[in-house]
Amino acid sequence: MNMVTPLELIRKKRAQAVGRIISSGYLSTKRVYVGMATCEIAAGSKDVMEVFREAIAGGTLRDVYLSQKGCAGRCNLEPTVEVIEEGKIPVKYGRVTRERAREIIDRHLKKGEIIQEWVI
Amino acid sequence: MEKYVITLCDGTTCIQKKSREIRTALEAEIQKAGIADRVAIHLSGCLGMCAKGPIVIVNPGYSMYGNVTINDVPEIVQEHLIKGRPIARLTIDEDHLYNRFFRVFGDADFFGKQMRITLRNCGIIDPENIDDYLALRGYEALAKVLTDMTPQKVVETVKKSGLRGRGGAGFPTGVKWELTAKEPGPEKYVICNADEGDPGAFMDRSAIEGDPHTVIEGMIIGGFAIGSNKGIIYIRAEYPLAIKRLEKALADARKNGMLGDKILGSDFSFDIEIRLGAGAFVCGEETALIHSIEGARGMPRPRPPFPAQSGLFNKPTLINNVETWANIPVIILDGADWFSSIGTATSKGTKVFALAGKIKNTGLVEVPMGTTLREIVFNVGGGIPNGKKFKAVQTGGPSGGCLPEKYLETQIDYESLAAAGSIMGSGGMIVIDEDSCMVNMARFFLEFTQDESCGRCTPCREGTKRMLEILTRISEGQGQPGDIEKLERLGNMIKKSSLCGLGQSAPNPVLSTIKNFREEYEEHIHQHKCRAGVCTSLLTFEILDSCVGCGACKKVCPSEAISGKRKEKHAIDPQKCIHCGQCFMACKFGAIRKG
Ligand SMILES: Cc1cc2nc3c(=O)[nH]c(=O)nc-3n(C[C@H](O)[C@H](O)[C@H](O)COP(=O)(O)O)c2cc1C
Ligand code: FES
Repeated sequence: MNMVTPLELIRKKRAQAVGRIISSGYLSTKRVYVGMATCEIAAGSKDVMEVFREAIAGGTLRDVYLSQKGCAGRCNLEPTVEVIEEGKIPVKYGRVTRERAREIIDRHLKKGEIIQEWVI
Repeated sequence: MEKYVITLCDGTTCIQKKSREIRTALEAEIQKAGIADRVAIHLSGCLGMCAKGPIVIVNPGYSMYGNVTINDVPEIVQEHLIKGRPIARLTIDEDHLYNRFFRVFGDADFFGKQMRITLRNCGIIDPENIDDYLALRGYEALAKVLTDMTPQKVVETVKKSGLRGRGGAGFPTGVKWELTAKEPGPEKYVICNADEGDPGAFMDRSAIEGDPHTVIEGMIIGGFAIGSNKGIIYIRAEYPLAIKRLEKALADARKNGMLGDKILGSDFSFDIEIRLGAGAFVCGEETALIHSIEGARGMPRPRPPFPAQSGLFNKPTLINNVETWANIPVIILDGADWFSSIGTATSKGTKVFALAGKIKNTGLVEVPMGTTLREIVFNVGGGIPNGKKFKAVQTGGPSGGCLPEKYLETQIDYESLAAAGSIMGSGGMIVIDEDSCMVNMARFFLEFTQDESCGRCTPCREGTKRMLEILTRISEGQGQPGDIEKLERLGNMIKKSSLCGLGQSAPNPVLSTIKNFREEYEEHIHQHKCRAGVCTSLLTFEILDSCVGCGACKKVCPSEAISGKRKEKHAIDPQKCIHCGQCFMACKFGAIRKG
């Protein structure tokens, strides 16, 4: 008889999921989340995502975990980009464009400067 | 060696309780133990657990420690980080699902009065990665149901929670489940209503796009509770991204054994398919929706029989709204008692609203039932932009009503909103300021419902058409004495005699604006005046003495109604003027008066 209950099974699955998230670079020193709901995409978040993707693929940005997420309800400030950094309070940028994304990469992710005027 | 991430709350209360000192101590201890390369420290805003602060969370494993002191630091490092043994003494058991929200966004104004239950993962997880959902206790409610609960127990729990349908009517969800469970099987259906037809509403779309698995998990639990093996998500084709994410989520859930045969090794089998709707408002009505899935024309039919007795293919069918489904996993995991502790006497839990119109923070908000309209508009929504004055708030979309300032203290709850003359609806909330015309607003909604009327019953088909004609002539300055009374009579008749909810609620925007803003209707009819300056046919334009004669207005006027020599004052011929307002916008000197 199979002794594993659904609950035990799901706990195992959760542990594996957490393991996979971590091995995909979740523990990088910096994590960047780009909002990718219909509203965000309509506001131009695909372009923003592309800038980050290219920077990582091209090697200019290292040790960064990039992910997408749904709408958090700040529709008037979209697209939003969130930077979560080891040991620091999360920073959320609003109305991010390609240009702003590039500046976030240069100034924030590389030099550690928080660009106050775009912070939500 | 295992890598760890420690999240420290850096909210105001936790800082007061010395969370910063704890951080310094932790860093020193980690350094001393020589494990700095495999431990990362993150800070978070207020986690909403201030009473138990300072809060320290260790991941993986999500151990949440509360009331942590400096003296606990060596133990955390030695026991947990080095030996891998979480410390039971410090652990807070109440891992309420909704707290996740505070962890990321903290207590900013916009989020302070919110409580995110159904949107708990929206904006936090990657909706296309099932691992993100699993990591946050995803599918644990399903596993719990399959391991420890009978279908009756699940129905009991939902009933006890006090959850009511979020699709508009507010029918008690548990009762609906019980009725469907009682019907003879084996063929029964579970439907998720994701038609979302209200103009300006996007709650369900965002919920699915941000966290599709929650809805799926809720539906599987519903299937288990009523004894069904087949679920259908009915979603409009105009939501391509939501559909794509649902498809991905369904495939991932199947791959992981959460859908299909013998779910998670149990005896229960269930699968879900997606059906696309063409985007007709009336197809959101449950009987019309069922016809549409059957391949027939999307027209409602009289009830009873209710879908619970005879629904899809005449089989017992459980139909609930997206947001209703998204509440289910939380109720199962955090318990009916906890859920029913939120809200008012008759309305439990939270409600999602799509805030739109003249408001600073447009977007999705989720607030506990019992929050007042004022709190939503002025705290969460940030008030009216550009220093304008608040005029009304419209809830319930084309089926709802407009509430003026004196109703701002109304609590969000099915009964109080109805008592005030509006409805909860599915969650559209439009804020109106002094620049909006109430007649025009009513006309907009009626135009929509008139257009969407399926045409099956006469009161709705013909009645709304006549009402629209009257409204149109009022806004064009052709209103006649007695029109208001005619609108009221027609409206009440349509409400009483229509077949489905569309017609029964279509006159609401008109009737509620007449009730609360009758003087605006009267001004339109008797004085040919629109105080907001929206109904352009009622506007007159006049050029003032400050005109410098630049000719800009003359250039844009499409009906050549403006004349005048260069550098001299121009004039408008009222006979030729078509009230388009182009000249008003073109004038750089404010020399044209609109009124
Ligand atoms: C004209 C009309 C449109 C409707 N549109 C929707 C809709 O878009 N989404 C929805 O969930 N319910 C809609 N409903 C309500 C459904 O008929 C039904 O009550 C609901 O899906 C039941 O789910 P609940 O109990 O979870 O709210 C509509 C009703 C009417 C009369
Ligand atoms: S400040 Fe830490 S939980 Fe509120």
